[in-house]
Amino acid sequence: MSWHAFLPMAIVLSSLLPGLVIFGLREDQQRLRVTLNLLGVTLKLLLVGSMLYGVSQGSEYRFSVPLLPGVPLVLQADALALLFVALSSLLWALTTVYAIGYLEDSPLRSRFFGYFSLCVSATVGLALAGNLVSFLLFYELLTLATFPLVVHRGTPESLRAGRVYLAYTVGGGTLVLMGVALLHSLAGTPDFQAAGYLLEQVDEHDMALRVAFALLILGLGVKAALIPLHGWLPQAMVAPAPVSALLHAVAVVKAGAFGIVRVVYDVFGAEALMQLDLTKPLLWLAAGTILYGSLRALQQRELKKRLAYSTISQVSYVTLGVALLGPIAAVGGLVHLVHQGLMKVTLFYCAGNFAETLGIHRIREMDGVGRRMPWTMTAFSIGALGMIGIPPIAGFISKWTLGLGALEVGQDWVLLVLLGSALLNATALSPLGWSQLIVEREFAI
Amino acid sequence: MSATLFWIAIGFALWLLGLHGLLTLRHALRRIIAINLMGSGVFLVMIALAARHDPSDPLLVALVVTGLVVAVSATALALRLSSALATSKEHER
Amino acid sequence: MNAALVSLLLPLAGALLLILLRPARSGRWVIALSLGALVAAIMALQVVLDHGERNLLVGGWEAGLAIRFRLTPLAALLLVFTAGLHLLVALYTARIAHAAGKEDYWALSCLLHAALAALWLSADLFNLYVTLELLSLVAVALVSLAGRKAWKPALNYLLLSLAGSLAYLLGVALIYGRYGVLDLALLAQLTEADGVTHLALLLMTLGLMLKAALWPLHLWLPPAHAAAPTAVSALLSALVVKGPLYILWLIWSEIAPVEFGRDAGLLFGTAGVLALLAGGWSALRAPRLKTLVAYSTVAQLGYALLALGLLLLLHLNEPRLHAALWLFVLAHGLAKVSMFLAAGELQSILGSKRVTGMRGASQNVPIALAAFAVAGGSLVGLPPSGGFLAKWLLLQPLFERPQHWPWAVGVLLGTLMSAAYVFRVVAHGFDRARPNPPSIRPDRLAQWLALLPALLVWGLALISEPLLLWLGGLGR
Repeated sequence: MSWHAFLPMAIVLSSLLPGLVIFGLREDQQRLRVTLNLLGVTLKLLLVGSMLYGVSQGSEYRFSVPLLPGVPLVLQADALALLFVALSSLLWALTTVYAIGYLEDSPLRSRFFGYFSLCVSATVGLALAGNLVSFLLFYELLTLATFPLVVHRGTPESLRAGRVYLAYTVGGGTLVLMGVALLHSLAGTPDFQAAGYLLEQVDEHDMALRVAFALLILGLGVKAALIPLHGWLPQAMVAPAPVSALLHAVAVVKAGAFGIVRVVYDVFGAEALMQLDLTKPLLWLAAGTILYGSLRALQQRELKKRLAYSTISQVSYVTLGVALLGPIAAVGGLVHLVHQGLMKVTLFYCAGNFAETLGIHRIREMDGVGRRMPWTMTAFSIGALGMIGIPPIAGFISKWTLGLGALEVGQDWVLLVLLGSALLNATALSPLGWSQLIVEREFAI
Repeated sequence: MSATLFWIAIGFALWLLGLHGLLTLRHALRRIIAINLMGSGVFLVMIALAARHDPSDPLLVALVVTGLVVAVSATALALRLSSALATSKEHER
Repeated sequence: MNAALVSLLLPLAGALLLILLRPARSGRWVIALSLGALVAAIMALQVVLDHGERNLLVGGWEAGLAIRFRLTPLAALLLVFTAGLHLLVALYTARIAHAAGKEDYWALSCLLHAALAALWLSADLFNLYVTLELLSLVAVALVSLAGRKAWKPALNYLLLSLAGSLAYLLGVALIYGRYGVLDLALLAQLTEADGVTHLALLLMTLGLMLKAALWPLHLWLPPAHAAAPTAVSALLSALVVKGPLYILWLIWSEIAPVEFGRDAGLLFGTAGVLALLAGGWSALRAPRLKTLVAYSTVAQLGYALLALGLLLLLHLNEPRLHAALWLFVLAHGLAKVSMFLAAGELQSILGSKRVTGMRGASQNVPIALAAFAVAGGSLVGLPPSGGFLAKWLLLQPLFERPQHWPWAVGVLLGTLMSAAYVFRVVAHGFDRARPNPPSIRPDRLAQWLALLPALLVWGLALISEPLLLWLGGLGR
């Protein structure tokens, strides 16, 4: 097998293999574990970098082995895949370093890092997946790999959250399976194509296509936290902060959103969706989620829960961009995928720091923290400003583009949604920047 | 009604009686007897079918003999199990 | 054909010798025997793929009178399957002696193997009856090895099993009375849709459903499989119930007249979906671990029933459904062996038979829990396991015909149920608040042996191409 064929699989293996080894390590083999982790991280970054370079030089990368009759397992490097893979690898690298520090002296680190690595392998796998079945495979693996992380602490609350998580995600996964199988019976499962491959089927099978689309979006929407399928996300906050960071910024939520992007663009295609009249419901769902998330965020007293609802809202920007079906809106949505990842990761790192160092879990308790932990607070403020969408921070660019995209396709009401959400975000997140810097306070730690 | 049909009906009736006994009786030995009754019913049906020819159909006769052997072995196992059960129940008291 | 016969005779001879000679280390002998049988079965598979179906008329008698042994690709594959599972369980039991109950296990398991091999190879209705009886009697004996608490379920199993056999036998008698032949190939050309045939098929179907624990005639299975020793439970769920299922499939796909197909298909399909739901529900509520796994068998057999039902509804025109049925059987067999062995490990190490006793298993007995979870993953149908491949092949013909979409809802609910009861156990394993400390020292090798079948079933989809070829010439 040539290097060009093997590289995508190598990228998946670069975290899978160290992860499997880490499972076997004893708790006290600290140095070996850290070395393996960092080795995997570095290797993956190098491989991704070399793939990016290769693609810029015009190479093609495609890994294919037979899996089902007529459907191979395909990993390939197209533009979307590269975007998500690069984002995931970078954020994984950062989160690994953070987690090594955060979990110092915590029990069961070998198990944690083992599942952590599996989680990232699954994410990278679904980023590179070249057809729906390959995507489904890694999508389900992601569910399985993240469950032990959610219940890592082993407390009754973690287990409860874990059960809720499983109920939602396994249910969603089964719906996706049904949708994929249905589509396969109609049109087979070819590789993802730039304008979708279902256009010819629209005349004959419009009913079946609508059912398939509904199944897929509902199933993917669970992970992407579209209302009313978002219930697992706030509950999953009981997990350790690196897990929340990973779940919300990199792996699970993005996987759902990414899946929706793939289904809309590379399976159905804009033309087919317009003929089937399917984008309106998706648009409304996305807009509804944006507003709902922002509103609920305001109600939360706990920091991580507020960030959770903020995520629910923010990820729907991606879905919004996709549902608008215009090219500018699509770019806006995808760019937001990246920006939201970076910003949310930052916010969760900070939240984790606050919790570990000063025992802060509620927003009220954050008064005056800016004096005790200035660096963390600065990072937090930058992240918060980005969430709201203040220029020149990243979040502004993606929201601006989304607004332009909405205008381009004539859905002007979306601008109101964006504006409203920005205002709500400002209310939800800015007190977090202000009082913390000004107020003096004693900390009981 | 022809003789064959008559004996087949009897065989069926025995089979149904045995089945009824198996499902409604509680005592292990009675259930074992019920099973044997079912077996006898099936064998009767087979012999009635064999007797249609002259001399009797040797294949069916062979089947009945095989069936009898199986029934004996199964009954032996069942009796052993039920007696062990009964003994263990006595010990418990 | 010779290789297939070797695969049958090795365990048979071995069983008799073990009973007569009673050597000291029976386990080693059985491992060697089943390995030999496996190799012979693989050779038989090779032969049948190269040269096509083979027949053997025992004793040189002519067709219609002689007992005919028939080697098809499916039969060869089932021979490999049986030998393989016997070997896997034997390896585990050699390591963990109490998984077998008593020393008699070894000889009995070889007899079980021989009975199954004879069943897969049989091609006439009466020979199938004989092998079926042999299978049942040996299975009952194996269940009773667990001691006093297993005798009552064993007796119940025996009596109901005999009732099933006698129903089947009555059906066979009626068929012979009507058509004068017992050979499957000859019957296939002769059968017509009249009252006698209808009654005979009904009797045979009911008898076989009772023996295969197909819903709603499944009530004997959970107590028997839960009370049996671990290794026996594994063999029972993975292999023994599949024998009657094979005969049921043979009857309906080869000799039943097409006119009965519609009603039968509808009945089987409905029973299949209800098995999935009822079995899954009972598994969810079962307090004991092995009872949960036993109900899981009842539920999973629902998939096979559904596949059979759909096959009949579509007038046998779908080779993919044949493949789906047998893939379910293969995947379920491997996964169940792993699940029962893992359950046995978990029970004995954590010292509790209850599901709630599995708390903390993820840190105290991680490999056994992983085996349970991985095996469960195939039962749920997660890609790329064998269970997923089977489900995929089942769904494809379903989705191509919109009038059959309601069955897909049944599959959906069944999947969710399976996930629920598998994760019920796994979630307890991750409960660290009040973990159940180990009572004895965990044996790592035994746990890896429990994990092995689960890993094999996950790899099944990767060999899907040759596998589908063996299951009846389904190419790409």
